[in-house]
Amino acid sequence: MRSPRNAVAAAALAVFVLMPIVGSDFFIAFVMTRAVMLGLAASTIVFLSSYGGMASLAQFLFVGVAGFMIGNAVGEGGTKGLKLGWNPWVGVLFALAVTAVLALGLGALASRTSGIYFLMLTLTYAVIGYYFFGQVTTFSGFGGITGIEPPALFHGHPLRFYYLCVTLSLVVYAVFRSLARSPFGLALQGVRDDPVRMASLGFNVALQRTIAFTIAGFVAGIAGVLNIWWNGQIDPTSISIGPTIDLLIVAVIGGIAHLEGAWLGAIVFVVANNYMRDLPLASTIGLTEARFNTVVGLIVLLIMVLSPDGLVGVILRIRSGVSGPAGGRSRTRAHVDSGGPTPITVSTQLTEGSTK
Amino acid sequence: MRVQTRGRRSHGSAVMITATLLLGVAACGSDDDSKAAETTAAQAATTQPATTQPATTQPAATDPATTEPEATDPATTEPAATDSTSEDTGGGEASGTLKLGILAECEGAFGGFNEDVVAGATLAMVEDGGATPKSKDTALDGFTGANVAGLDIELVGVGCGDDTPDRIIQEVRTLVEQDGAQVVLGPLSGDESIAVANYAKDHPEVTFIDGIAGAQDTTLKVQAPNYFRFHGDGAQWNAGLGDRLHNEAGWDTVAVIADDYSFGWTSAAGFIADFCAVGGTVVKRVFPPLGTTDYSSFVQQLPDPDEVDGYFWVVGGTGTNAALEAFVNAKGDLVGSQHAGNLFFSPALASALGPNIAGAYVGGFASLPGDVKTPEIEAYLASADATWDSLAAGAAGGEVGPPSVAMGFGFGYGYYVAGKALNQALAAVDGDLSDNQAALREALSSMTLEVPYGKVTLDENRQGIITTYVQQLVLDDNDEVVSKTVALIPDVDQTFGGTFTADTPSPDRDNPPCEKRDLPWTGKAIPVVDGVPQE
Repeated sequence: MRSPRNAVAAAALAVFVLMPIVGSDFFIAFVMTRAVMLGLAASTIVFLSSYGGMASLAQFLFVGVAGFMIGNAVGEGGTKGLKLGWNPWVGVLFALAVTAVLALGLGALASRTSGIYFLMLTLTYAVIGYYFFGQVTTFSGFGGITGIEPPALFHGHPLRFYYLCVTLSLVVYAVFRSLARSPFGLALQGVRDDPVRMASLGFNVALQRTIAFTIAGFVAGIAGVLNIWWNGQIDPTSISIGPTIDLLIVAVIGGIAHLEGAWLGAIVFVVANNYMRDLPLASTIGLTEARFNTVVGLIVLLIMVLSPDGLVGVILRIRSGVSGPAGGRSRTRAHVDSGGPTPITVSTQLTEGSTK
Repeated sequence: MRVQTRGRRSHGSAVMITATLLLGVAACGSDDDSKAAETTAAQAATTQPATTQPATTQPAATDPATTEPEATDPATTEPAATDSTSEDTGGGEASGTLKLGILAECEGAFGGFNEDVVAGATLAMVEDGGATPKSKDTALDGFTGANVAGLDIELVGVGCGDDTPDRIIQEVRTLVEQDGAQVVLGPLSGDESIAVANYAKDHPEVTFIDGIAGAQDTTLKVQAPNYFRFHGDGAQWNAGLGDRLHNEAGWDTVAVIADDYSFGWTSAAGFIADFCAVGGTVVKRVFPPLGTTDYSSFVQQLPDPDEVDGYFWVVGGTGTNAALEAFVNAKGDLVGSQHAGNLFFSPALASALGPNIAGAYVGGFASLPGDVKTPEIEAYLASADATWDSLAAGAAGGEVGPPSVAMGFGFGYGYYVAGKALNQALAAVDGDLSDNQAALREALSSMTLEVPYGKVTLDENRQGIITTYVQQLVLDDNDEVVSKTVALIPDVDQTFGGTFTADTPSPDRDNPPCEKRDLPWTGKAIPVVDGVPQE
């Protein structure tokens, strides 16, 4: 527990917990809450990528499915959806159950592919999800479902909701890290590194991947529940190709090989999205909100060129620079000591995947 | 692959850290109230850098002095610093600041109308509050100096929607929760308005006045007490069209093709209710998704021209021409007398499809076609031309032209009406914003709004009861296709005489059913001859 990684995580947690003391209401209720939720969703991409070697573009689909299920189950007297009017907590159970079952099914289908084929298959899932909820007006239609309120415990209590997001993020972070050290996690990392060898050792490679995909889908579903409680509505555009790619970008900015990077990347992404227009001289040089995607693209480009490990990689390098060569731990040692993942970059994953 | 020089590492880290710190500074800087003044300038210029400073004397791009005054402009900083919700001053005019947000559309199918709608809201502030636009060539730079009923009107931001509910919620939250907007004008599009109306329910401290969104559910179903709409919905705009087509053009059967979203459904619902009420029959309903590029498979689902009397189209944005071209490819040339449509069916179609479209009947929109002239309309258009030298309006296809072109079309006019409603209500209550703007809302609910294209009153759901019109595409003396107003339909309410209620199913692919019924305005249309109503 005294490893530098734990220390950094604890410091980050302290920042999240204490942020409401210094941040404005808007900054907490909108910017930070959104960032924590987005980080939670992006952590599932990191989990699949770093532990399972699977670069998934379907994670936002699960965010959306959980949201649409909540909308249909809880919605009452709204304009679209099934309007079942259930208790919000029953709705949560229903939404997470549906999301997990869907993730299990889609994971089973995708588990026999890897690399670029896995990426394309999960992209297909995302596109199908978008059109399904757009076309099937029984569940949504392109206008989406609006007027969804969170349970009374959180309705009108943005700070309470923020801490719920932080708490769930902390739990998910801890679970993912402990999973990495569990027999399942070790086997999953073995599947990531050499699926053929793992199969020859008697491991069911497809099953390992399916379980990992299901877990990630379930966690993304939790993010989806939070998202619709926070946003009050969901529509197919919420899960279209744009947000799907954005989530991958969040993971890449933070560092797709590091769980912590998901939340770090999300903060950078959301802060940039909200405050880019306020940067000194930004509008003078054309960096208005309408250019947001261009700026994010440039950030990603810089990340890929200068630090393929993302911002977490930058921090690690600074730390090793400060500590000197003796103080800097090798990647291998860090991996063994903490049970953390081998930092694979997207580019290397794609290369590996395409040659498998 | 991972081998990098130390120097490069440091450089990369420095870049990352600098970028992160800059964003952090921006984020922290926005936490205090004084930032709102900066936001005014920065957000109002959503798509354009600040160009209002005299470029002839100061190079805007590099001279910090150019940006310094912008950020600390007393005209905007002063009201922000007071940050006051106006208090009731006990009878006289109030003093203080009203923070105004505009929900516009800078992306998506209606992104081209960004200039139009911001100009519409601005023109209302120019006329009633003495505002001065910051630029003579664009409304997007915002305005200064507006004062209505003793309240300084501070434009805190212009939201950038893309016709999706998801995006507009982010934008309205920024306007309300970050920038502190007390009144929001907008949004523009149907699905957006339903989401914003739901949002309004959770924010009783803010008043929302719809821009030009036409979904029926926004007011009929959601019924937010602080959401007002001073124009018709998509259904109301098609009132009288079915009567005309059945009884004048002789249509007994029709096939409907409409965008698969709330406005498309609402617009089709109005036509279907009207056409079926007088005895017509809808033989087919086809709903392509919004943003479809290849309409061939949807057009194939329509009956052939010899199997149906006509077609009603509600396909908007970039889809209008694409859908009609797909029809030509699949079913043969267009015959104007066999087609009708809603506001998307404009003379501009002729440029792509030729003059054969002449003869088609078209539903109304917020404003009237150019053939109807009254002193009020001419004064309004002249006012727009006096406010700006030119605007690159969506109504003119994005071409730079006279501002009156933008203001003469429904998008700009809708936001103008919203601004006029706010100003008229503020004047009626002497700028009293106390008690969650209770007096202002009462005034909005009960007022008769006098605007250039006719009076508007609101029903119990705060939805406009309007005069709409039926127009026809005709050939002028130069064989150009133009719009001609053929009838006015007064007192069109959202319920269509009880056809639509809070308890009836929302308009969708199957609703409303095609049923004969009595509508209040059937047979009561006022003919218009040469632009003059024959009352």
